[in-house]
Amino acid sequence: MAVRVFRWNPAREKEGKFRTYHVEVQEGARVLHVLHAIHAEDQTLSYRYCCGTGQCGSCAVQVDGEPKLACMTEARDGMTVEPLNLPVRKDLVVEMEPALAQIAPLLPKGQAECPAPEQIAAIKPLRECIECLACVSVCPAMEVAEFTGPAAMRQEMRLALDPRDAGGRIPEAIKAGLFTCTTCQACWKVCPKKIEIPGKAIEKLRALANREGLTLPRHLEVAELVKETGRTVPRTETSFLEQVDEVIEPAGPVKATVGFFVGCMYNLRLPKTALDAIQVLKRNGVRVIIPHEQVCCGSPLIRTGQLEYLPTLQQKNIECFTSRNIDTVMTMCAGCGSTLKNDYRTPFTVKDVNEILTEVGIEPPARLPLTVTYHDPCHLLRGQGIRDQPRALIRRVADLREMAVVKCCGAGGGTRSGAPEVSKALALKRDEEIIKTGADCVISSCPFCEFHIGTFSKTPVKNVTTLLLEGYRKKDEGKA
Amino acid sequence: MRADVAHEAHVLVIGSGGAGVRAALEASRHGETLLVTKSVAGKGGCTPMAEGGYNAALREADSCVGHLEDTLKGGAYLNDLELVKVLVNEAPDRLRDLVRWGAVFDVTETCEVAQRSFGGQRFPRTCYAGDRTGHEMMMTLLEQLRASNVEVLQEVTVTDLLTREGAVVGAAVLDRTGRLEVIRADSTVLATGGGSRVYDVSTNSATGTGDGYSLGYGAGAELIDMEMVQFHPTGAVYPYDARGRLVTEAVRGEGGILRNAKGERFMSRYDPERMELSTRDVVARAIAREILEGRGTPRGGVYLDVTHLPAAQIEGRLPVMLEQFLAYGVDIRKEPMEVAPSAHHFMGGLRITPTGQTTVPGLFACGEVAGGVHGANRLGGNSLAETQVFGKRAGEAAGRAPSRGQRPEPRQLDLIERRLEGFLSGMVNPVMVERKLQLAMWKGAGIFRTGPELTQTLMEVEKLGRKRLHAPSKLNLAECMTVHHLCTTAMLVVKSALLRPESRGAHVRTDLTQAHDAANSPFGHTYLSQHRSGIEMKGGSP
Repeated sequence: MAVRVFRWNPAREKEGKFRTYHVEVQEGARVLHVLHAIHAEDQTLSYRYCCGTGQCGSCAVQVDGEPKLACMTEARDGMTVEPLNLPVRKDLVVEMEPALAQIAPLLPKGQAECPAPEQIAAIKPLRECIECLACVSVCPAMEVAEFTGPAAMRQEMRLALDPRDAGGRIPEAIKAGLFTCTTCQACWKVCPKKIEIPGKAIEKLRALANREGLTLPRHLEVAELVKETGRTVPRTETSFLEQVDEVIEPAGPVKATVGFFVGCMYNLRLPKTALDAIQVLKRNGVRVIIPHEQVCCGSPLIRTGQLEYLPTLQQKNIECFTSRNIDTVMTMCAGCGSTLKNDYRTPFTVKDVNEILTEVGIEPPARLPLTVTYHDPCHLLRGQGIRDQPRALIRRVADLREMAVVKCCGAGGGTRSGAPEVSKALALKRDEEIIKTGADCVISSCPFCEFHIGTFSKTPVKNVTTLLLEGYRKKDEGKA
Repeated sequence: MRADVAHEAHVLVIGSGGAGVRAALEASRHGETLLVTKSVAGKGGCTPMAEGGYNAALREADSCVGHLEDTLKGGAYLNDLELVKVLVNEAPDRLRDLVRWGAVFDVTETCEVAQRSFGGQRFPRTCYAGDRTGHEMMMTLLEQLRASNVEVLQEVTVTDLLTREGAVVGAAVLDRTGRLEVIRADSTVLATGGGSRVYDVSTNSATGTGDGYSLGYGAGAELIDMEMVQFHPTGAVYPYDARGRLVTEAVRGEGGILRNAKGERFMSRYDPERMELSTRDVVARAIAREILEGRGTPRGGVYLDVTHLPAAQIEGRLPVMLEQFLAYGVDIRKEPMEVAPSAHHFMGGLRITPTGQTTVPGLFACGEVAGGVHGANRLGGNSLAETQVFGKRAGEAAGRAPSRGQRPEPRQLDLIERRLEGFLSGMVNPVMVERKLQLAMWKGAGIFRTGPELTQTLMEVEKLGRKRLHAPSKLNLAECMTVHHLCTTAMLVVKSALLRPESRGAHVRTDLTQAHDAANSPFGHTYLSQHRSGIEMKGGSP
């Protein structure tokens, strides 16, 4: 098979380059075996490996841009193998020691009694970490903040759960950057052991911080507002819900009926965008039912570890749809969608607007003379696994030019309010990528991303549905 | 260029597996301790890959005597009795150390460390953390290492132990850039693990290249029972490039059944009483025999089946196995695994006293690199225990040893430098030598052995050991040294195998008939050093 491998000896060369190798391996060979085969021919290739069975965490590399364990990933003809996105020592070998040194040791209280079975059960999933640093290599917050990163945070939570540990883990975790994590989910999506660090460590540590009275003041304010108003943002203009009827019938025959979970941001910050979406849905045969008593989904509370009021919100939201016998609830906020899908037990199906539009099939819009780029909302891409649908919809209207990297814009996880400088730094990095594409416009599908990128980028930001609506308007103008 | 002394320590520990880290932690209580490791610390060796468990007599119904008897019987009575006593008596306390340090073992309802059945044991005394017990231990030890004042040098390769007047006074190492450095130490602890990578099919990690045997031998230490190589009965056969990958004994401990291609549960012919949970040497030979006689699968293995077990049991107790096989397209909840024997563990190694002292002053050894604990066959679950029991002992003894302050002999450093320079002008790709060596060893010094084949293999191994290895740059010197160690280790295995004129435990000579059983063997340890070699006779002195 032919393989492109990154080669770089920083001691001698200014920058690295890819080299293509042709090697023979047996059926079922892993990436590591391909590297062995290359090395047998070219001894100068440096790569790190040890156990060969996915247990030591030595051999993580990027395979076609994704962090993977070389020993467990099936090799593919034409694949590209690069080092992790960490300082490169040579070729595929990266510096691991600084990141590993951040992982806190247990401070023994001295007793040799085992924790109870339920405590063991809680710790175990966090204990499978093999310290391969795949997570660290993709963490956006670590690039801009003083943050020890996902592997270290996982360990803080593991220690916080252990009755044998004498350390004060919550203050330590906060000092190590607990509130700089945007909960973008990148870390656990690349984790070979699938350790859910944002949900099982970051948010849990923040919940423990809450119990210890260490929640950030800005986050406390948000929680207070939710308790008072059912919403995370104050009303500064006429809300979306104030502008729409409970049932919106489509223009033509009904192809689908959905309940619409609006979310705080589209209701109160970007109502115009939600109205645009309604226009597109109407035009494409979707009947939209909008219970007006719906409240915040609770995502900002979960992300910041303030869980006390959550059940009240969940119950209200579920009831407002079940009482109307709705079996499909549509979200257009990536954060709400991810929360309803992952943090709720709903008796109805939850789908994102991109999924709904893809399923019903849209009327072709006119093409706009625009080149756009698409920013993946973390909670849509990783929270809901939605990647292709928005892209396909965009391509119906405009030319799509991809950014070189998929990365968090910094809006999520309570970072915008809790660690604004981190949030801003991430947005500025995102803007650099946007500028590189030369696109006329950034398209996204999340109010947080739209609002946040909009604050820091000169390039206009639009929702997928707004772009579609513009396509329809142009089409209608053409007819008129 | 003359390498200057770059590091000094009271205790130098070589190796960062379970034994090495345990030794370093203990040694650091007595003086400045430096740990050097070929891998990133904690990622090398076989401890993090060890799946099954840790044997310790913990319950009322069990006893250290029971553990001792099982170990001796399993070891075909070749074990060093004093070492076994230490193992079984101290394994529980060393387990408690790990628990104190935060190890997350599975527990019972009453918060005791849970135990399961392993081969060759009368009592379920194997403590576990799912099927990632070694990984759990390693993580626990690494945390303590990070919290300790042990200095750690990562990704360095030891080329030689340095001596002065017959005593070890440190080591010569290649740092990650290929630069030669000298470490001076009052005591040196070898904890380099095993050498099963001398075989074509092996469960070992990349560092199982026998460096410690070669280093110890080079420094004049005596090694015992190097012919005793355990072939784990169940190594994976697919994919071919990952052949040998360990399929934990816990699979059989949990109730896994072995079948040949004809669907026969063949263990009934080899050990009807213990069946799949017979000792490893017996099961490995049974599987090898089935395959040799044509009852194997097309890929050259037999089936290991857990599909009759509840899915929840497989998911909870064998998660790593489940995940690994799923990655290779096999759902072990629904389909059998295919397995065949794989070189796994060296029972032999440096001769040690119960405090880990080798036959050379200043040199200690612990873990797989040391010999004598397991006799002619190791019980599953005894080596993780060994790492902790003897790691602590060797670390302590090394730490308590007096400061000597001796410097290495300059002449030895000259020789080391000359050998390294030789690699830079060498001709032969070390990878090719390694492959040939592994094939030769698998063919001629594997599960079934004969005198003529061993003699032939020794010639091949020695021939390969004389090749002028090539390093295209200084970065490749470490690789050449590793292949050098590999060749030396293979030589030690084959020479020792020729010294033992009997079948015993893992060592099977198919060309010999013998009247005695293991318990009545007239033979003791084989021994081998630069100065002498032979086999001990029971009742006689070596």
